[in-house]
Amino acid sequence: MHLCALLTLLLPFAAPTWGADYNAFPDLGISDPASLQEASRVLEEELRLAARPQTYLLVDLVAHRIAIKARGVVLHQIPIVGWSGSASDQMANTFRLIARPPVVRPIIDPSSAVEREPIALADMPTQYRVTFTPPFNLEIVPAAGEDPIRWAWANVSDWWRQLGRWSSSLMAGHTSQNEPSLRITLSVEQARSLAWSMVDGMALVIRRPADQ
Amino acid sequence: MARMLLAFSAAAIGVLALTVPQSSNLQTSVASVPPLSTVDRPQLYRLQTRYKNLAKQLSQLSPHQTYILVDTARNHLYVKRQGVVVLDAIASTGSGTILTKPGDGNGQWVFDTPRGEFVVQSKLTKPVWVKPDWAFLEEGLMVPRNPEDRVEQGVLGEYALGFGKGYFIHGTLYTRLLGKNVTHGCIRLNDDDLKSVYQLARVGTPIMIF
Repeated sequence: MHLCALLTLLLPFAAPTWGADYNAFPDLGISDPASLQEASRVLEEELRLAARPQTYLLVDLVAHRIAIKARGVVLHQIPIVGWSGSASDQMANTFRLIARPPVVRPIIDPSSAVEREPIALADMPTQYRVTFTPPFNLEIVPAAGEDPIRWAWANVSDWWRQLGRWSSSLMAGHTSQNEPSLRITLSVEQARSLAWSMVDGMALVIRRPADQ
Repeated sequence: MARMLLAFSAAAIGVLALTVPQSSNLQTSVASVPPLSTVDRPQLYRLQTRYKNLAKQLSQLSPHQTYILVDTARNHLYVKRQGVVVLDAIASTGSGTILTKPGDGNGQWVFDTPRGEFVVQSKLTKPVWVKPDWAFLEEGLMVPRNPEDRVEQGVLGEYALGFGKGYFIHGTLYTRLLGKNVTHGCIRLNDDDLKSVYQLARVGTPIMIF
């Protein structure tokens, strides 16, 4: 009985503390088991990445931000304006970027006296689609207010792709398993910033909302 | 708030358990305290503990010493210590341009500043530039056979910090170009910032470049 009482008195001190140092996700609902499980899964993935000298991406759909990280440290944050996705149950993985968004690089011509302008952030695309392995598609689109034409084109392209998938399923007579995909809306500047920061083979981890 | 409530409830139970005779029915003595769920709370506690331990492990991987952070998109170099910026410097980083290697159809130099995590491998004072082949070829010049003809002094500033594969943080004569992507991959700083970085960093200081 006395031992039980003593253990009960010590319980509050053994309870997890939520100091800033040990709370990787300050927006986490600590009383929500599903949120805790998802956050823990992300941290396990991140631990493997942070153990090596590399930069990686954390797409946090709960906090609405993309973080460029290394060793668990946030190097740069990109706010997410909006997002939509499919097959979220297949997003519980570490993905590797196959190829960064294409950009035209100036080629130096030693015989020419004309100096070529170096590449700059403004040269980066604002709308692009990148693929990862295992299969995962990430589409970045600019916010409607900043680039309405590209935003509209992105929506049309997405609708056309969905129509293609439905018609294929209809003709095949069964629903094909879609590859996980995510469509993220960013500001024009941040879309360029993300394109700039991507490197071939870069790892990406996604933190999903608990109700997805 | 919830934690305080839990602590108070647990303490109250403990105190009552110590004061009540052992033969008493504990449940009668604490009838006013709602019983803890025997299904949800242990599971929630395990999940919280697991999350906290994982977050702690991740925090232990982060650099607890001084480290250098380079933003190649915005051309800034930061020196950080325990999450605090101790130096914010305008830099120049790689231009991203391409130079084709002569006599090799597929070979080319791509003048990017490498991304990822590196460490300071060397610290030099009054560094001398030993020009590589591309420095001559991009100007339409022949590559000299005499190694001494490659040496150029006074163009890299007073200090240089090497971080591998021929890449350095060094000074520049072209301070008007700071803030732009104009280099062949190295990171350029003005004299004052370069001196500060040289003093703050040591061999082994992490350099994170994105």
